[in-house]
Amino acid sequence: MTNVLLRYTNLVLVTLFILSLLSFILAYLFPGEAVENLTGLRLNELTAMQNSALMYSADDNIFVQYWHYIGELFAGNWGVSFSSGLPLYEDVGHYLPASIELSAYALFLSFFIGLPLGFIAALRHHKLTDYSLLSVSLLGYSIPVFWLALLLILVFSLQLGWFPLSGRISLLFEIPSITDFIIIDILLSDSIDKQAALISAFRHLILPTLSIAVVTTTLILRITRRSVIETLNSEFILAAYARGLTPRQVLMRHGIRNALIPILPLLAMQFPTLLTNAMIVESIFSWPGIGNWLIQAIYQQDYPAIRAGMLAVSVLVVIFTMSIDLTIRLTDPRRRRAERATT
Amino acid sequence: MVLLDIKNLTLEIDISGGWVKALDKINMVIHEGQIHALVGESGSGKSLIVKAIVGALPVRWRITADRMTWKGQNLLTMSVKARRKIIRKDISVIFQNPINSLDPLLTLGQQLKEMLPTDKLTKTWFWQRNAEKQGLAIKLLHKVGIKNHQICLNSYPHQISNDVVQKFMIAMALASEPKLIIADDPTRGMEVIAKTQILKLLSRVNQVRNMSILFVSHDLLAISNMASYMTVLYCGQTVESGELQQLRKRAFHPYTQALLDSAPSFRKDLPPKSPLTSLDGTIPTLYHLPIGCRLGPRCPRARRECVAIPQIRRVHTHFYSCHFPLHWKAK
Repeated sequence: MTNVLLRYTNLVLVTLFILSLLSFILAYLFPGEAVENLTGLRLNELTAMQNSALMYSADDNIFVQYWHYIGELFAGNWGVSFSSGLPLYEDVGHYLPASIELSAYALFLSFFIGLPLGFIAALRHHKLTDYSLLSVSLLGYSIPVFWLALLLILVFSLQLGWFPLSGRISLLFEIPSITDFIIIDILLSDSIDKQAALISAFRHLILPTLSIAVVTTTLILRITRRSVIETLNSEFILAAYARGLTPRQVLMRHGIRNALIPILPLLAMQFPTLLTNAMIVESIFSWPGIGNWLIQAIYQQDYPAIRAGMLAVSVLVVIFTMSIDLTIRLTDPRRRRAERATT
Repeated sequence: MVLLDIKNLTLEIDISGGWVKALDKINMVIHEGQIHALVGESGSGKSLIVKAIVGALPVRWRITADRMTWKGQNLLTMSVKARRKIIRKDISVIFQNPINSLDPLLTLGQQLKEMLPTDKLTKTWFWQRNAEKQGLAIKLLHKVGIKNHQICLNSYPHQISNDVVQKFMIAMALASEPKLIIADDPTRGMEVIAKTQILKLLSRVNQVRNMSILFVSHDLLAISNMASYMTVLYCGQTVESGELQQLRKRAFHPYTQALLDSAPSFRKDLPPKSPLTSLDGTIPTLYHLPIGCRLGPRCPRARRECVAIPQIRRVHTHFYSCHFPLHWKAK
């Protein structure tokens, strides 16, 4: 147990180290002065004193520079954006929760729809239900996300006018940002009409969540179906039937858990795809998330912002994937070693 | 009393478009309290028969039989639910591969308790029931010779050595106190001591509780120690069946003779350094089944008539299906 924890911590630390190294090297690879890319300050805007201090450290060897860089990263001093001049640390801290919120809802939605449908398809294997679910999922899987998002906007916002076009919440509401997760912020704030604000926030959430969730749902459906079919054909399931258990007992006691264990790591691997899709959808729906922010930064060649955003997103992905892996590793009894010889 | 009566059981498998008879007119009768051995090479369809009896075959495969009854009730025409009830109550299977036939995510204790029949429990409340189940499970483990019950019940299948899991499987099979135990090659790949223990355990169960055992194996030595009746299977056809003693003394079918000859322990007259006998060739695959008697191409006594399926002939309790049986002049 401690051994496993240590190994995973080690792995995470090494990966994060490499990520920080990459983001540091990026500053040298981007066009312009490395100092500019790291701080976001133009050289000619600096005061003489800052300038001499910078020159002093820039003359140091690269390891010392990296050491300083890491120190500043942990101090929350990520530099400022070229275009807006705002500090990047606060910006990322403000935009990242919006993205996490959107992706989390999409992920939950796809789990709630994809898992049961996957089970149904597997239980009706080689029957009409299976085939129709499979073809629908193929359709959902093949639709490009940006196109789907545009279609949804076209139909539900412009034609039918059911849902708002863009943003997180109606401009009428002034939500003080505490956690930057909009739903939590609404619940925390006390100055406004909570119910109306919640309804508005949900109406804004529906379309972007749906357009991200479609692809993920179909992925989950297909992975689940495959895994359940494999599990149900395995020897111990047949053995359970041969012991005279009812199909319901077999599925509930032996089927579900065994089918879910191989699914989870595969789903963890889908998280980057989900995040990429979320970025595209964010910029279509003008969702104030990290994806939208990064794409703007790329357009404006805002190198410090690109560097900081990439670092933040990749750290998020690494930590999420690793923690799911670790949970599975610790809960799967098959991976537990025999502790003793037995009679 | 006849427990299981199978007449002309045929199992057809769909292989790339064509239906192939994996089992061709199998006959078998199991009496109460009998140890019945089912012998055959690997690939002769022994495990398929076991699966056909308990209904653990894929739905796509076609099963037909003139008669397949359990104590007079037809297993093939009854509802799935009724059949499952019979299997739950009266038939237990010990599988070939003990570790794979257990759920890897549940402890052995949970799986054993699942098999205890609920109508045998006397207590009402669930905590009393749990305690009672625990007691019954420990008793069962002691019966099959697992002394360290606590470790065994709390472990997962992969944490326990193979022979202990096999004993545990026997405990699971005994849990519902069945009338018939089907042991599908229970000693596969085991070393001698574990093997003897398991065989002794099975014979004791048969003697003490009068349970019938269908012992599926190719280990002739084990069979001759335990079984009273033997059915020989070749490539999905029953070639011969009868009392074990009679079969050993005077086998009618060339395949049975070859099988007996291939076990050196049965040949008392075997001089040192003499070559061991074996039947030439291998068992045919399902794609290339010969017509008629399937032993045809390998049979030392085959003639032209063997392309027709031989009728079953009977001498007292001894059945065989061969056109040109051994010892037939002596008969």
